[in-house]
Amino acid sequence: MTQSREERLAAWLDGELTASERAAFEAEIAADPELAALAEEWRANDSLIAGAFAPLAEAPIDPALLHTLGLAEPAAPLAANDNPVWWKRHVLPLGGLIAASLVAVLVVSPRNGDGARDPLSQALERTPSLAQAKLPDGRSITPMLTARAADGRWCREFGDGREVALACRDGKGAWIVEASGKGSEPAGDAGFAVAAGADDTVLDAAQARLKLADPVDATAEQALIAGKWSGKE
Amino acid sequence: MRAAIVAVLPRLRRFCQAMAGNGPDGDDLMQATVERALTRSSQFEPGTRLDSWMFRIAQNLHIDGTRAVRRRGTAVDVEALHGLAGSDGRQLAESRSDLAAAQRALQALPDDQRAVFALVVIEGRSYRETADALDVPIGTVMSRLARARGRIAETLADRQDTDRETGR
Repeated sequence: MTQSREERLAAWLDGELTASERAAFEAEIAADPELAALAEEWRANDSLIAGAFAPLAEAPIDPALLHTLGLAEPAAPLAANDNPVWWKRHVLPLGGLIAASLVAVLVVSPRNGDGARDPLSQALERTPSLAQAKLPDGRSITPMLTARAADGRWCREFGDGREVALACRDGKGAWIVEASGKGSEPAGDAGFAVAAGADDTVLDAAQARLKLADPVDATAEQALIAGKWSGKE
Repeated sequence: MRAAIVAVLPRLRRFCQAMAGNGPDGDDLMQATVERALTRSSQFEPGTRLDSWMFRIAQNLHIDGTRAVRRRGTAVDVEALHGLAGSDGRQLAESRSDLAAAQRALQALPDDQRAVFALVVIEGRSYRETADALDVPIGTVMSRLARARGRIAETLADRQDTDRETGR
């Protein structure tokens, strides 16, 4: 052992000495009032600092911060709901970088070469989750997640500030709304709160019928958008 | 992975605040750590501790950030910050609290000693876990802890002297 007295004292305080080292060191302390005083001072300092920091890990993480980090659960239901639908239980599968870049708003024009497709389909085709797309009819939609149905179609859940809807993509790039229910989007916030209510059962039923898999993560979603949804996952 | 990160966040936040010296900078460091962890999640070795991996990311980001500040020559010393804090009533109250005293003691330490002290004393990690998290030998953990505690004792002893002089 080439450790200094201070190193052995530190290891003693931290319970890192072996039984024989501990016995030897405690004999040393007993014989040396100065060392005993130093041990007491260090121990008191440790407990002051550890005690001062202890409550910091008890404080809940601010939901707004979770949103910023891309780790947020969708906002809590606006009304009590004993039976949360599955998308509320899922962490939104988004990276912090995407969530932080919400300023990007896709503006869907009535005609931009994809004339065969309706604006909603264009928006769902190209907008990452939690980004916003403005439709020519004045609506703004925000996709919330992307998941695959059991029949192989890609489906996305999105909100327009009033309603939450589930749409699935057919083989030709048209997104067909399978179900919609009442929702509510807090103004000026990236968060999306789903109102609990009778209409949720409509979405629940649609999800059960489509047998949606777990939502894909942000990287997979980007790949799908880039590959025009032709990927096999 | 994401759910696991969320579970680690409260402890990661505490560690980041200890490293950064205050709440807002700590939360900035935590945010940068999470973003780095998410973009490099493939580098996480399954079977190892996620929290240790994130502590290491946080420490490295903090040290990189501190170096960048030093290069720009805008580092503000802790005493000056302490003086500034006294200009605001709420912060004045905080500066007298144990947390402020603890923060001042930690900020008087070099980054590498502070990281070791925070993991062992605040987070309750063993020397082995701390050595793994920070990727240093266990003997280094022990020597940094001894030096950290020596320095902390000086800082806190100064505080008590000051308190006596000011009649507290």
